[in-house]
Amino acid sequence: MSEYVLELKGITKIFPGVKALNNVQFQLKPGEVHALMGENGAGKSTFIKVITGVHKAEEGEMFLNGQKVDFKGPKDAQAAGIAAVYQHPTSYPHLTVAENIFMGHEIIKNHMIQWKAMNSEANKLLKELNADFDATAEMGTLSVAQQQMVEIAKALSTNAKIIILDEPTACLTRSESEELYRIVDKLKEEGVSIIFISHRFEDMYRLASRVTVFRDSQYIGTYDVDGITNADLIKAMVGREIKDLFPKPEVKIGKEMLRVEGLSRVGYYKNVSFNVHAGEIIGLTGLVGAGRTEVVESVCGITRADEGKVYLEGKEVYVKKPSDAMEKGIILLPEDRQKEGLIMSWGLGRNVTLPTISKYAKNGICGEKEERELSKKLLEDVDTKAVDIFQPASSLSGGNQQKVVVAKALSQEMKVVIMDEPTKGVDVGAKAEIYAIMGELALKGYAIILISSEMPEILGMSDRIIVMCNGRKTGELSRGEATQEAILELAMEKGHAAGKEAAK
Amino acid sequence: MAGKSGRSINNVPESPIKKMLFSWEGILVIVFILVNIFCACFSEFYNLKSLLRQMPVYLAEVFLMLPMAYILVLGEIDISVGSIVCLCATMSCIVCNTGAPFVLVVITALVVGTLCGSVNGFILTRFQELPPMIVTLATQIIFRGIAEIILGSGGSISASNTDGFRLLAGKVGSVPYILFLVVIMAVIFAVILGKSTFGRRVYAIGTNRLTAYYSGIHVQKIRFIIYTVMGTISGLCALFIVSTSYGANTTTGNGFEMDAIAMAVFGGISSTGGKGNLAGGVISAFIIVCLRVGLGQRNVHAQVILLILGLLLIGAVALPNIIGQVKKAMKVKK
Repeated sequence: MSEYVLELKGITKIFPGVKALNNVQFQLKPGEVHALMGENGAGKSTFIKVITGVHKAEEGEMFLNGQKVDFKGPKDAQAAGIAAVYQHPTSYPHLTVAENIFMGHEIIKNHMIQWKAMNSEANKLLKELNADFDATAEMGTLSVAQQQMVEIAKALSTNAKIIILDEPTACLTRSESEELYRIVDKLKEEGVSIIFISHRFEDMYRLASRVTVFRDSQYIGTYDVDGITNADLIKAMVGREIKDLFPKPEVKIGKEMLRVEGLSRVGYYKNVSFNVHAGEIIGLTGLVGAGRTEVVESVCGITRADEGKVYLEGKEVYVKKPSDAMEKGIILLPEDRQKEGLIMSWGLGRNVTLPTISKYAKNGICGEKEERELSKKLLEDVDTKAVDIFQPASSLSGGNQQKVVVAKALSQEMKVVIMDEPTKGVDVGAKAEIYAIMGELALKGYAIILISSEMPEILGMSDRIIVMCNGRKTGELSRGEATQEAILELAMEKGHAAGKEAAK
Repeated sequence: MAGKSGRSINNVPESPIKKMLFSWEGILVIVFILVNIFCACFSEFYNLKSLLRQMPVYLAEVFLMLPMAYILVLGEIDISVGSIVCLCATMSCIVCNTGAPFVLVVITALVVGTLCGSVNGFILTRFQELPPMIVTLATQIIFRGIAEIILGSGGSISASNTDGFRLLAGKVGSVPYILFLVVIMAVIFAVILGKSTFGRRVYAIGTNRLTAYYSGIHVQKIRFIIYTVMGTISGLCALFIVSTSYGANTTTGNGFEMDAIAMAVFGGISSTGGKGNLAGGVISAFIIVCLRVGLGQRNVHAQVILLILGLLLIGAVALPNIIGQVKKAMKVKK
């Protein structure tokens, strides 16, 4: 047997007009967890698709246990024991867990599906993963973390020896990530080799023994995790040094802009109060499902609170629709850029001016020329990497899409900017740029609320941190007193027990 | 804030003429010319004069296409318009027969249409989860049901005083009024959809309703307005229908909604929302009108005309797909 279970040499993949992979290499040892890192667009996803047989490389060779292989399609890769688990579980929400696990390779006798055998087999797999739900549960009722577990069980059900996890922790909370780490450790013990794609350094340190970095479609290097520092890795990934990931400027805190008092919505959150001043960045954190997003959605009129009051600059305001909130100067930059933040098929310029078209219109007819001028200026202000304002939003990377969302908010006079997970799925270079924009907004006197599950970002950018758990505010920490441990303690308060209950 | 990298983003649009040439509307103009050549060869009676004389019957439906285009751009559908036309036609005949002045007849048709449309709009905005297809199917049955009850056992009504309706069917020289009105309305509807903030918002809602809502657009208000206007225009259409037949019966307006949808879709307005424009819709409407006049002159059976229109429609829907596949194949070869 060769030293590697999987080895790729000189892989080049060309899409019309672009070299998506340029002579890259990769080696995976048996029972190893190998991190694959790089900025968005570095070629990681394409590379994974070459391994799983979705794409065929123009050049290069692939060896499985020392044997040269040539996958014609995903089926070949599956038969060879390679399975991939994607960031957003691609499941059938209305089918049961067992049906999802065995989709495509059902247990069949005389052309009939053997439900009993399938359910018990599925339960066996779930038990191995310490799952706390049953194989007959409907997929759609599970949390993202649980769905991911099903995907992993699905990979195991095909007897996969190599499992590829594509940004598995991107949608997970901290405790859920811990659960995933445990599963990965267990798989490793069983001799499964794992390729792990992630933007989180934490994941890599915790799990991987080696890390391979891609940049601009090229192989940069493979390093032992033990001997590497954050700075080294960032440099390898970005190609330059990022001196300060969190450029938080010293801002003189101004008057109170937004105050929320005793806001409640039955079933979502209860009695939440906080305030934010001009020039201040407050971090709103907690586990996913703690009610963070729900609270700000009510503040912005997307949903209605049952009780409580919202004050803007000391005056009580009644917000019923997002348009009300925007008129008054409160804007929410939603978490889901593709579904809520942008119109992906539209050009960047039109996206930016969408909330404010009336401002440039004469007698209801759009002032397209002014719109073009303004959107160009705003997009350049936030340093969007784009060629022209007509290219569709879908053609940009996640980080640049986020910048367009920010530009959209800047197209009007705003007082309070609420950012929900602004760096989700954004690579490290673009992250630093988004933080820089946040800092500049604070300098200009905006009051900013940052919702995030990422601890370093909350700690790095916030003047004050508000922690929520199970729909309640469990604490408030100043920048000075906040530590990772202190936040976690507040976020997990009673959290574990309740979380388990909810899962049942 | 200054762009740190000093990167400049282009904001000069490409020439609209070049865009027009390669667009669906460009193809439609060619099809329009071809259809007219075909009709002229097919029927010796086909000329501008006969076209102008015979087109008013078909033009009434072109009105319906205009607001229907908005509904399709929203990504929705309204299949109740045929029934609204029937109800409006019936009511206007009744009012006409009471001896009321013709102005009152016109107002009746428009008000009844507006009310019907606002019922659709109210239900769809009050209960946002309901699919428009089902809601307007229900109101289609209800509106026609009401019309049938009013029409009673005879199932038809004729306008006893046709003076007013004759006026509507009048002409300037040999050009019928209705053609002027269709063109004026088409320009108004096209400008609002293509150039106004209202239109931009309609496209935004049709492409991504959530993003539109988060961006502060009054999604429900816009939907309500559009369904209501659809009703008003149905009333207008009913007036012209009565002006060609001097009456109404239980089958008046049957299938009009589908004709309107077909014209719009053939014009490149996608039924999935957010795509197409009224220039295409109007050209395609006139293609269909010309084809109907031309084939009708040689007594081609109505069903055969439908068959041809159906084939055209499938072609129209499939063509962009086929072009896309060919383009892709060519790119890969390169």
